[in-house]
Amino acid sequence: MSSHAAHFESDSHRHETAELGMWVFLATELMFFGPLLLGYAVGREMYGQAFAAASRHTDVVIGTINTAVLLTSSLFMALAAAAVRSDRTRMTMRCLLLTAALGVVFLVLKGFEYLSEWQEHLVPWADFRFEPRLRQGAGYFYYLYFAMTGLHALHLTIGIVASIVFALRLRVNSARALASQVGVTGLYWHFVDMIWVFLYPILYLVERHG
Amino acid sequence: MNARQDPVSRLVWIWLTLLVLLAVTTASAYVDLGAGNSIANLIIAAAKAALIALFFMHLRRSDATVRVAAGAALLFLFFLAFLTFGDYLTRPMHPAPWRSPQESTLNPHAV
Repeated sequence: MSSHAAHFESDSHRHETAELGMWVFLATELMFFGPLLLGYAVGREMYGQAFAAASRHTDVVIGTINTAVLLTSSLFMALAAAAVRSDRTRMTMRCLLLTAALGVVFLVLKGFEYLSEWQEHLVPWADFRFEPRLRQGAGYFYYLYFAMTGLHALHLTIGIVASIVFALRLRVNSARALASQVGVTGLYWHFVDMIWVFLYPILYLVERHG
Repeated sequence: MNARQDPVSRLVWIWLTLLVLLAVTTASAYVDLGAGNSIANLIIAAAKAALIALFFMHLRRSDATVRVAAGAALLFLFFLAFLTFGDYLTRPMHPAPWRSPQESTLNPHAV
């Protein structure tokens, strides 16, 4: 049984079109995160010492655990994509739900991190306190920190919702019918993971040895 | 579509490699390598991103149009960075008259 619309020649044509569409969307997403990364590079160049000091105030334990959590979620998403392509509906559903659960674990840990940063007066727009000599550069760092991690968390939330929606739809639809949707959600999820792979060292690991 | 599929064992190996790279990048941050710290971090991050793109996003087996879309994204990010740094790294920055001298000295370019 085929599940493609009339304007597609075959299921695989449909799948390829959906994939290309997602890749083009991800290219525009890179333009969304790109300027933040660039703003970071300029700030690091201008306020190197302050960025190093500010980075040492981030919670490297939570940051590292969260990186491992996201990498693991990407494995389950890749397994979901493999399962959906071999038409294993229940396996796909389980993998999608595990992926979403790990995404929620990430967000909960991130929430605890934000809370302790709030208590340590590291939020630049709310009673920010830092060594006066480095205050300006550290404020720049924490503006970027909240903008980057906030934007990332928003993307992750969208990914979690999409994973849950498609997992639930697999209760009534076959894996074959949702193969494109699950595959494309996977591409999006891996992209969000890839963004974090770059955020982790530039936010948490600047001159840790100091 | 089955022809495009990676075996589960390979996906697990990629995941293990990613975790090892994470451990290496974290450990390296605690050793003073000077500028080498940032370089090591970025190379490892790029390696992790490449593994995710090639295997998890199966870019390795994607057709040319998909590769062009992915390549275009990187190319435009490069333009953005190249033109911005062409400006920031070559133009002397002068403190604005209304900024206090203390603020201005925070900026190495202003000295």
